[in-house]
Amino acid sequence: MKSILKGAAFGVLATTMMAGSASASELVITFDDLNPAPKAAFEAAVEAFRAANPDIEVTANNGDREAHKNTIRSALQNDAPDVITWYPGNRMAPFVDAGLFMDISDLWASDPNLSQHFEAIKPTMSRDGKQWGVPYSYYQWGVYYRKDIFDKLGLSEPTTWDEMLAACDVMKENGVTPFTIGTKFLWTAAGVFDYLNLRTNGYEVHNALTAGEIKYTDDRIRATFANWETMLERCSFVDNHATMSWQEALAPFANGDAAMYVMGNFAVAGMKDAGLTEEQIDFFQFPEITPGLPRAEEAPADAFFIPANATNVENAKKFLAFVASPEVQAEWNKAIGQLPPNSAAAINEDDKFIVEGMETLSTASGLAQFYDRDAPAAMAQAGMEGFQRFMLDPSTLDEVLTELDRVQGEVY
Amino acid sequence: MASAATASAGGLRASRYETETVRVAVSGVVLVIAAWLLFFVVDPGVIQNWLGYGQRSDARVPAFFARFALLLAVIVSGFTLVTSTAYYKRNRIRLAPWMFVSIGLVFFAVYVILPIFQSFSYSFTRWDGLRDINGVWTGEWVGLQNYRRLLDDPNFYTSLWNNLLWLVLYMLAVPIGLGIALFLNQTVTGIRIYKSLFFFPFVISQVVVGLIFTWAYNPEFGLVGEIWGWFFCEETTNIMGNPTTVCSVDPPNILGNPDVATYGIIAAGLWPQIAYCMILYLTGLNNVSPDQIEAGRLDGAKGWKMLRHVILPQLAPATFLAVVVTVIGALRSFDMIATMTQGGPFGSTNVLAYYMYDQAVGEGVGRYGYGSAIAVVLFAIMLVYISYFLWRMWQDEREAR
Repeated sequence: MKSILKGAAFGVLATTMMAGSASASELVITFDDLNPAPKAAFEAAVEAFRAANPDIEVTANNGDREAHKNTIRSALQNDAPDVITWYPGNRMAPFVDAGLFMDISDLWASDPNLSQHFEAIKPTMSRDGKQWGVPYSYYQWGVYYRKDIFDKLGLSEPTTWDEMLAACDVMKENGVTPFTIGTKFLWTAAGVFDYLNLRTNGYEVHNALTAGEIKYTDDRIRATFANWETMLERCSFVDNHATMSWQEALAPFANGDAAMYVMGNFAVAGMKDAGLTEEQIDFFQFPEITPGLPRAEEAPADAFFIPANATNVENAKKFLAFVASPEVQAEWNKAIGQLPPNSAAAINEDDKFIVEGMETLSTASGLAQFYDRDAPAAMAQAGMEGFQRFMLDPSTLDEVLTELDRVQGEVY
Repeated sequence: MASAATASAGGLRASRYETETVRVAVSGVVLVIAAWLLFFVVDPGVIQNWLGYGQRSDARVPAFFARFALLLAVIVSGFTLVTSTAYYKRNRIRLAPWMFVSIGLVFFAVYVILPIFQSFSYSFTRWDGLRDINGVWTGEWVGLQNYRRLLDDPNFYTSLWNNLLWLVLYMLAVPIGLGIALFLNQTVTGIRIYKSLFFFPFVISQVVVGLIFTWAYNPEFGLVGEIWGWFFCEETTNIMGNPTTVCSVDPPNILGNPDVATYGIIAAGLWPQIAYCMILYLTGLNNVSPDQIEAGRLDGAKGWKMLRHVILPQLAPATFLAVVVTVIGALRSFDMIATMTQGGPFGSTNVLAYYMYDQAVGEGVGRYGYGSAIAVVLFAIMLVYISYFLWRMWQDEREAR
């Protein structure tokens, strides 16, 4: 009631005030990462933007990432900033559908960078044929492994499913648990599922499944789970994964009790913090399962959006164009150890993970966001709980799949 | 002389009358301006601009204080106006109490009563919790669909069952608390220290209790893992030469096992709850009449009989209170679950309150309609208990009169 009155009164009484504040050239940016490296990279980019646009008074707010997932809702509906961070793919869908994000297709068409160097990521930023945001970073997923353990056991990077299973046998014979994982917060299990599904059925099936077009009891998805069961048997995961976060799961990896980790590139920093050196860890692409299937990869992106009721739209677009430029993308991603979505941007050639990640993603046939970003949030939550349940007890498979079909029927 | 006295009395009357008029006039003007500013014009952002902060988020606090000051102005001037009316002056004794509770009532209505009805109405809709930029609600009416879906939802039954487990097992806090209270109800040197130690878990935050137990339950480095290690595990070195533990029988992973995780959380929740019941009984024991104990002794009562027939009846008020707070505690188990398992593994430790949060707000799932339906069911269940409680209170009040 109050907000309606307030809204109505705004139109009549306060238009002049609003107009007054808009004419002073301001820009308010809300960012969502307080971790040291991302925070510094964001602040550096804002400084550079200030230097390039001395007439714009920039206000940069930065907050906790998990809290941002809730606060963005009120931010978009009430007092919106001019630029805000959020995730592309299906995670942006509710805000796009409610009309809370601004359509920036014109910027994608006119900006020289966005129109030419973002082809690979453009589908992820699109919905209803329009573009809604500008990505500043993305990163590869794959298998991170202890190179020193592999060397000691005489193993090399497996490229096929059978090679990986054979490698797992060797590890288990030597008392090493092949994979570590921490599924307390569920999404890590979705990474494993996504890769098994992408390698078993390919990119189209991944998209069809997350779009709700095929059922979980479909034979193709069952084939994915059959492979997962094989993996659980021969390439076992650490015990107690259901009560560990992904960071806690680094402990057995660092201690040498486990040798591999299906993860995103951000985990490298955690591995180094846990005491491992650059020589001890390495990366390989998740091996091929169905021979000849075009290789698709997970590559979640982080992006900036303009809220629909932003005050300083022109400045916001200026900032997005600035973020899309190759120099800013290169600098930013060098600082946070990730990849620039702008294909013309330079990458950090000294970082072997970045070089290998670039190679992995630029040769991929398709880029998936991630199960919980491609599927609607309600489906993703139920799906990931199902994955965890299956990992703890593979005999519950039928129950899990039927339950997921039921949720799928409700959500889409 | 006489005329001068009359004149001065008249002057006094006149000035008192004028002061009153000025007071009413000023209050009226303040009320109109403050209310207008508060409800129609002043968005926090606008106040921030006036105060020269721009749209920086650190300007939220001054903007909040500005609004708070306006609200105070509205309340004070409003009260001045009401108390100056002739009607109020005639009925002062009857109206004054209502003036005192009115502010509380307004907030209670806005923040407690209204949301209950909002939940009811949302539970018939499919809504992701968003309004568009014009403040238009984006959901759609779906009738009883959410309730029908609840009936098919295995997670709902899991949550319901866990709620029941909580209610039943949490009641253990009452007898255990009584036992400890009886044990501690003696005069030995330093008994106060022991009492404080037993009471300690109730003083610390539920979140801290949850964390302590999460660590204790950890099968690798927690208390459970340590003790298990004495019997079934041995230290060895792994392939990289680092120390590691190999167990002949895997240690129990209490919070990771869907069959026992809920019991693990309830056990953690009992720890502070027992302390609470204990303190209630200790206070009650202070008021047990020594005469009756003496009389009971003369009649040959001791031990269990004494407790059953002499002490417990006198502790009835404490027992009632202990049961009430324990039921409330069991239904409030939300924070324990949020700290220890977030409802996992795979939703097996959800209770209705947490499942509602999970579906509506948690991780952006955004099923507000479905979450509201769960909330309504939970409300209906609690209503039974609340009604009984209110009825009982009402009975007591009536007897007291």
